[in-house]
Amino acid sequence: MSDATRDILTPPKVQRSPLVSVLLHTALIICSFGMLYPILWMISGSFRPQEELFGTSSLIPSALDLGGYFRGWTGLQVTFGRFFWNSLVISVLATIGNVVGCSLAAFAFSRLRFGGRKFWFALMLGTLMLPYHVVLIPQYILFLHLGWVNTPLPLIVPKYLATDAFFIFLMVQFFRGIPKELDEAAVMDGCSPFRIYWKIMLPLSLPVLATAAIFSFIWTWDDFFGPLIYLSDIDTYTVQLGLRSFVDSTGSSDWTALFAMSNLSLIPVFLFFLFFQRLLIEGIATTGMKR
Amino acid sequence: MALHSEILSKEGRASALRSRGTFRRILERNAAGYIFLLPWLLGFFGLTLGPALASLYLSFTNYDLLQSPDWVGAANYVRILSDDPKFGAAMRVTFTYVVLSVPLKLAFALAVAMAFNRGIKGLTLYRAIFYLPSLLGSSVAIAVLWRQLFASDGLVNMALWQIFGFEGPSWISNPDYALYTLVLLSVWQFGSPMIIFLAGLRQIPTDMYEAAEMDGAGKARQFFKITLPLLTPVIFFNAVIQTIEAFKAFTPAFIISEGTGGPINSTLFYTLYLYQEAFGFFRMGYASALAWILVIIISLFTAFSFLGARYWVHYDE
Amino acid sequence: MPMMLDRRSVLCGGLSALSLAALNAPALAQATRLRMIWWGSQERADRTNKAIAAFKTAKPDITIAGEFAGWSDYWPRLATQVAGRNAPDIIQMDYRYIFEYARRGALAPLDDYLGKGLTIDDFGKPNIESGRIDGKLFGINLGVNSSVVLYDKAAWEKTGVTPPSMGQTWEEFAENTIAFGKKKPKPGYFATADASGLEPSFENYLRQNNKALFSADGQLGYEPADVAAWFKMWQDIRKSGGCVPADVQALDQQNIESNALTTGKAATAFAHSNQFVGYQALNKSKLSLTAYPRVGKSSPSGHYLKPSMLMSVSATSTNPKGAVDFINFLVAKPEGVDLLGVERGVPASTAMRDQLTTKLDDVSKAMVEYIAAITPEVGPLPINPPQGAGELAFVLTRVSQEVAFGRITPEEGGERMVTEAKRTLARK
Repeated sequence: MSDATRDILTPPKVQRSPLVSVLLHTALIICSFGMLYPILWMISGSFRPQEELFGTSSLIPSALDLGGYFRGWTGLQVTFGRFFWNSLVISVLATIGNVVGCSLAAFAFSRLRFGGRKFWFALMLGTLMLPYHVVLIPQYILFLHLGWVNTPLPLIVPKYLATDAFFIFLMVQFFRGIPKELDEAAVMDGCSPFRIYWKIMLPLSLPVLATAAIFSFIWTWDDFFGPLIYLSDIDTYTVQLGLRSFVDSTGSSDWTALFAMSNLSLIPVFLFFLFFQRLLIEGIATTGMKR
Repeated sequence: MALHSEILSKEGRASALRSRGTFRRILERNAAGYIFLLPWLLGFFGLTLGPALASLYLSFTNYDLLQSPDWVGAANYVRILSDDPKFGAAMRVTFTYVVLSVPLKLAFALAVAMAFNRGIKGLTLYRAIFYLPSLLGSSVAIAVLWRQLFASDGLVNMALWQIFGFEGPSWISNPDYALYTLVLLSVWQFGSPMIIFLAGLRQIPTDMYEAAEMDGAGKARQFFKITLPLLTPVIFFNAVIQTIEAFKAFTPAFIISEGTGGPINSTLFYTLYLYQEAFGFFRMGYASALAWILVIIISLFTAFSFLGARYWVHYDE
Repeated sequence: MPMMLDRRSVLCGGLSALSLAALNAPALAQATRLRMIWWGSQERADRTNKAIAAFKTAKPDITIAGEFAGWSDYWPRLATQVAGRNAPDIIQMDYRYIFEYARRGALAPLDDYLGKGLTIDDFGKPNIESGRIDGKLFGINLGVNSSVVLYDKAAWEKTGVTPPSMGQTWEEFAENTIAFGKKKPKPGYFATADASGLEPSFENYLRQNNKALFSADGQLGYEPADVAAWFKMWQDIRKSGGCVPADVQALDQQNIESNALTTGKAATAFAHSNQFVGYQALNKSKLSLTAYPRVGKSSPSGHYLKPSMLMSVSATSTNPKGAVDFINFLVAKPEGVDLLGVERGVPASTAMRDQLTTKLDDVSKAMVEYIAAITPEVGPLPINPPQGAGELAFVLTRVSQEVAFGRITPEEGGERMVTEAKRTLARK
């Protein structure tokens, strides 16, 4: 029996043999390089003179030039710090909205019985299917008439109204995995549905809530089409709009500044990810559910 | 008090059936569900439905964005289905992409999630690194990088030359291979399904494994008897979502081919074609018709997925 | 004025009451506050914002709020705003898109302002005409532009082959590229990019043959044989190693950063003269500009002066007079012209150009000199393209790729191009 197969078959408490560990880590490190390569390349690109960016594919810049960071941070009429702040506000508010709005709807779909449940569920899924570009203009007209254009409201308010069906469906799938016995016991004890949602479902679903938070934050942060359409004043720009302002494919661009600011813009999302992935792990510790 | 019977449980269902009758009862039976659904209903009727219906209406018109739409009946649909070679090209590209990228991405994500679910030193670090490509999203930098990796003198060809002595083509700009570089890009950004799988694995109660070990079940047996069945709702979710997303895939082709879908339409994704029609050539009515045809195709796929799910997805109900 | 998308169809979702209350708010922009939109990046934004500030000093009663985006983001953003009846007052337009917008009534005709607020007489007739669509003035020329051949002189000289130059024939050019290919300094490096799929290059070639992309009656101005000859010429260059192979050319997204010259795969590129500064910024070696090769020594140059971009006024602007004042400030007042420089192209006004040239750096000066050098031989502006013409540039690129990848012959390519072009023009 090879080491690898023994490893699969041995109970988890037993230590892996050193050889397997070495092999596993080697594989993971090689894969990690494949994952890290673009970041390394972007970092190297942010230090290099831009006439060097497109001619070579080597990772090592010919000179170390910090200019991209200075030009990037201060080059537009407002500093990049402003864009960071705007993005942060929008992303945090959108994340809260998604988690709250979608978990309410998901609780209804997965745990409550009411007429038309399947109908609404199918419609909810249907909203996932229509390509964004054809509803763009009607939506713009709607928000324009609400007076929301050139404010971040079109990027935030819909999240509180659970318009992102992805998260509802995601949470439904996880809520359905939580043992029924728990809320049945709670009903016996006289708990209202809201208490069950708040005291049982949410605490037991930390992994999926953390997942939803991670995705909402990152996707809102990375989104550029929404901000492009709804934010026209540079004071209200998000990071992604700021980044795209460095480049115009028909004229002069500042690619070094683009790479420099792209690298900086990864830091907040990366920190957010690191923090919430801990929640994702700790979720189990607190789950500790007995069946 | 009355709301308690709304909890979707076997007992609850039975008691609800017993107490059926008066209008008041009907109201109470449904109240809790609709209260929780209220934000979604507001969003659906207030923000989602109107624009969707507007696009459905526009799909029966000639609408050039700048002037008011002209009703043309089903002409757009007729043209798409009978007289549009680009529609066929876009369909082929999109189906190939769906068929290749979804299973590959899911298998990769599941494998990595499984590996990460066992105690490995430096787990947090690895997980973060493996998620990095997905953090990058659709940034302009990725487009530039991908073009450089898969160009004639890119890193991939340099490696092929060093290792196998093989002189590769310019993968990303060759109509025979360009689509596969985009499939690879999608697989490389496997972070989201991986995280969802991880969350799903986390939710499997550890005592089930402990009990299985007591009974002397090996790891392989534990995987097939506990992990896989309990993970099916999440696998199902990922499969459905990734399929829908792959059908609607837009950004990778848009950033890498600068919206052209080239070379020779080899990366003309369906939504990219739709976007060209809408914003490049001022045919929003036609684009809307294209969109609704896509909705029908995706709905059919999703409906079949849900029908099939009865046979393999296990819910704890 | 055009009727926009029916409001009812949008609001049937049940928000009508809410939105009716807010209906009038955005539409009634204050007449003294004008919105302006342009595409471009940082440098253009800096220059434009300085001009806006200077205009504010000169005319304190008008405030201009600028917004900008990169080229590919610009058009969906603008289309959405126009469709939502929220168009900016002052709109930067491109020579291709202005036909789409003007003919659909999104822009205001500016003929009435000529001489009254718009002092552009010294643009010369062609540079004024270039903003005229179907007889009406819809755009003010922001910069004079023409097709150009950009080349890395040092790379050509290293091989000892004559680089492209004014008056060279296509035949000579082809021979030179092939000679370059035989002595090329490194593998994977070629004399020139492949221009067979670039519409401006094809148009130039047609004009040298006394043809055009479109005829006066809105039909195609060329035959399958013309396209076939063009494809054939490039096919021969490609097959003898003179230009980049098909898969390298297909890397070109027809923008600066993916062009074979910028990516270090070719020593020559076909572009527009106003992009010279942008090209130079991304290229290590010094670039030079010259006119296109010609079909014969005595044939027309094929060049014409076209606007690199234009400034237009929205048909829905509540203060078109103020908008025109600002545009005039940008193109006909030394203060504004100096602030913009040649970043958008060479100023059309001769007086402005002369006073500006002395203040330019070498790269910008080379661009002005190029325009001056080709001007004596430029031909008239092409006839206004028919509606739907914009799509043909994409068709040409695709068919040229089918030829380059060896899927069809140049002759089949010619037939296919004409068939598809006719089909596209007949639509709608």
